[in-house]
Amino acid sequence: MKTRKRLIGIAIVLVAVIGFAFAPVQKITVKGSDTMVIVAQKWAEVYMKKNPNISIQVTGGGSGVGISALINGSTDICNASRQMKRSEIDKLKGRYNTLGVEIPCAKDGITIYLNSNNKVSELTLKQLSDIYTGKITNWKQVGGADADIKLYGRENSSGTYVFFKENVVKADYAPSCQTLPGTGAVVNAVKKDKNGIGYGGAAYAEGIKICKVKKDAKSPAYEANAQTIAKNQYPISRYLYMYVRNKPTGAMKAYIDWILGPEGQKLVVETGYFPVK
Amino acid sequence: MKNFISKIVKATMLSGVLLIGAPSFSQSVTDTIKEKVDELKDRLNGIDERVLTNESDLSKLNKIKISGYIQAQYDYFENRLSYPSNSFQVRRTRVKFQYEPVDGVKFVVQPELGPGGFELKDAYAVANAPWLKNIELWMGKFNRPNYEVEYSSSSREVPERSRIIKALYPGERAIGAKLEYSPKLIPLKVQVALLNGNDGLTIKDASGNNVNTAQNVTNKDYDNFKDLMGRITYSLNLGTGVGLDFGVNGYLGQLKATSTTTIKGDYTLDKSDVKVGDALKRNWLGAEFQLYADVLGGMSIKGEYMFGQNALPGYITSSSTTTSTTSLNATADTLTISNITTKDNSQKPNQINKFSGGYVYLVKNIGKKNQFALRYDFYDPNTQISKNDIGVKKYDAAVADVKNTQTFYSTSGAQTTKTVIATITKANIKAASGVSDIAYNTLTLAWNYYLNDNIRFTLAYEMPMNEKTNAVDSKGNYLVYDKGTVNGITKYNYYNDVFSQNTFTLRVQAKF
Repeated sequence: MKTRKRLIGIAIVLVAVIGFAFAPVQKITVKGSDTMVIVAQKWAEVYMKKNPNISIQVTGGGSGVGISALINGSTDICNASRQMKRSEIDKLKGRYNTLGVEIPCAKDGITIYLNSNNKVSELTLKQLSDIYTGKITNWKQVGGADADIKLYGRENSSGTYVFFKENVVKADYAPSCQTLPGTGAVVNAVKKDKNGIGYGGAAYAEGIKICKVKKDAKSPAYEANAQTIAKNQYPISRYLYMYVRNKPTGAMKAYIDWILGPEGQKLVVETGYFPVK
Repeated sequence: MKNFISKIVKATMLSGVLLIGAPSFSQSVTDTIKEKVDELKDRLNGIDERVLTNESDLSKLNKIKISGYIQAQYDYFENRLSYPSNSFQVRRTRVKFQYEPVDGVKFVVQPELGPGGFELKDAYAVANAPWLKNIELWMGKFNRPNYEVEYSSSSREVPERSRIIKALYPGERAIGAKLEYSPKLIPLKVQVALLNGNDGLTIKDASGNNVNTAQNVTNKDYDNFKDLMGRITYSLNLGTGVGLDFGVNGYLGQLKATSTTTIKGDYTLDKSDVKVGDALKRNWLGAEFQLYADVLGGMSIKGEYMFGQNALPGYITSSSTTTSTTSLNATADTLTISNITTKDNSQKPNQINKFSGGYVYLVKNIGKKNQFALRYDFYDPNTQISKNDIGVKKYDAAVADVKNTQTFYSTSGAQTTKTVIATITKANIKAASGVSDIAYNTLTLAWNYYLNDNIRFTLAYEMPMNEKTNAVDSKGNYLVYDKGTVNGITKYNYYNDVFSQNTFTLRVQAKF
C-alpha cells in the first residue's frame, strides 16, 4: 500500500516536471505591409533562432489588410507603411476601447524605379505628380525619349499606395496606372518595360535604375540613402510602423524591444531600409 | 575482312544518308518547335486578354461592398403584467450596399429586412469636393450627427440606445443634406446638416392618427421649416494610451403649429393668438465626451448631456350642427331663430416644454473576447413640471380654455338694429399633463462575448426606473403604466408605485 502510494506520488512528480520542462510555445502573428514583409521575416527568423519557445508567423497582404486584421483580432502585430487613418482608429476604439499603440520601427525612402535604359535620372515632386495623374504622358516632356510613359503602382490596400498618393500624387491616380500586388511585382514590371515607372520601398530596388527626386526645379536632387533620409533631404521619406492593440506585455514586448534594439535595427539596414533613430 | 569492309561501307552509307537528311530533319524539328511556340504564344496572348478583361471586371466588383448584420434575441420581461412575459425576436436585419466608383464618391443603401417588414434605413450619396479635399457632401437619408445615433447598433455594447436619444431622434435617420469637414492635420470633425426635421416624429390628430405618417410625409417634409443640426468634435491624444474625444452639438428646429393656442411645459398659457402654420421652436444643446484608456486592456468612459426645448403640435377639429327653433316676428314680439349653424371647435393646444437628459457608459474589455458594459441614462421630458404637478389638478382651465362664442342678431322693420339674442359659449380645450411628462432613469448592464469577428453574444439586463408620482387623472385614478390580467383579474401598474419594468436579453449577433 505504502509502495503503491509512493509510486503514484513519484509518477505525479515526474509528469509535472516533464510538463513544466516543456515550456509552452508562444505564438505571435504578424500581418500587413508588403514593403516590410522581407525585414519582418528576417526579424522573425533571427528572433526565433534565439528564442525557440516563440513562434512568429509573418504574412504580407498590404498595410490595409494588416490594419483590418488588427481590428478584427486576427493578428497580434500589424506592420504598416503608413499611419492608421482616423476611421481605422475609430473602429479600434469601437471594438477594443483602445487607441492602439503606434511603434515606428524603421525608416524608408519611397524609391522611384525606372528601367535601366531610361535616359531620365531625376524628377521633381510636381513632375511625379503630373506623371501619375496622367498630365504628363510622354517621357520627352521630362527630358527622356519620345515614348509613352507606362505607369505601375500598387493596389489601394497598400500603405505605399496611400502614402505616395497623399504625399506625392495628391490627386487620383491616372486610370492607366497598372495595379500590381506587391513591390516586387512593380520592380519586375519596370525591369521589363523600358518606358515603365514605378514606386516602392528602397529595399526592393534591384535590377532597375533609381531615379533621384527633388522638391522642386531649383532644389538639388537626392537619392534615398541613410544620409539623405537621416537629414530629411530626400523628399519622400517615411516611417515604417508596427501597430498593436494594447501596450505590449510579455513575449510580444520582448520581441518588439528586440526589433527596436541594435540587433533588430541591424537587420533593417541589411534589408535596405534605414534605422528608426 | 570482307565482313569488316561491309560494315565500314554500311556505316559510311548510313552516315551519308544521315548527313544528307540531317539538315532537313533539324529544319522540320525547328519548324515543329516554332509552330508549338507560336501556338503557345497565341494561347498566352489569349489568356492575357481574358485576364485583363477579368481584372477590369474584378476591379469594378471590388468597388461594391456588401456588409450587414442580424440580431436575434430572447427577452424576458419582469413586469408581472407583461403578456407575453418572454419572447424571441429578430431585432435587426440590415444589409448595407456601398458603391465607391472613384475615391471620395460613395453611394449607400441600407434596408432593414426584418420580419416586421421592409424599411429603408439609409439611402444617401457622398461626394468629396476635389478642390477642397477634406469636405464631404452627403445627401439623402442618413444618421443625424450625434454620437450615440451614429454609433452602429452592431458595435454598441448594450442592446438599445438611451431613452433621450430615442425620444429626440426617433428612427435615428433624417432626410436632408450634410457637410462634413475633417482636416488632415487637425483631429477635428465638423458636421452641419439641414434636415426636413419631421423624421420619425409622432404628431397625432384628434382621432389619434399619426399625421406624419398618415399623409405619407415621412419621405417629405411635414411643413415649410427646415431644421439645422451641428456637431463639432475634437480628439486629444494624451499619451500612454489615453485619448479624449470631446465635442458639442446643437439642434435648431421648428414644427408648424396646427392649433391656435400654445401652452408651456407647466401647462400655462404661452400664446392664444397662434396662427396655424406658425413656428413652434425645437432647440437644444448638447456636450459629449469619450475617454479611452489602456488600463489592463481597453476601457472607455463615454457620456453626453443635452438640454433645451421640444415642441409638439396640437390639433383642431370642427364639427357643425344645425338647429331649427321658433321664428321671430318683431311686430308680434315673438322670436324665431331659424337654421342656426353652430360650430364646435375642439382643440388640443400646441405645447413647448423644456427638457434635459443624458447618459454615461463604462466599457471594459477583458482580454480579446470579453467585454463588460454599464450604462446609466436619464431623461426628464418636461423639466417645467415636477412629479407632484403631473396630472390635471394643477391645470387652470379658466386661463387656458378658449371660448368659442357664437352671437346671433335680429333685425327689426326698416331700421336694422343689432340686438344680441343668444350667445353660446363652449369651453373645450383638451390638454393635461400626464404620462408623457414622467422622468426616467435607466441602468443597463451587459456582458459581450466575441466568439470571433463575426459572432457576438450579449447578455444584458435593463432596469428602467420611472419618477414616482401620486398624480391622478381627471377621473381621480392614479396614472397607469399598463394593465394586464392575472388569474382572471385585471391588474394595473400605477406610476405611484414601484414595479419592475426590467428586461433580460440574450442576443446573438452575426455580422459580415
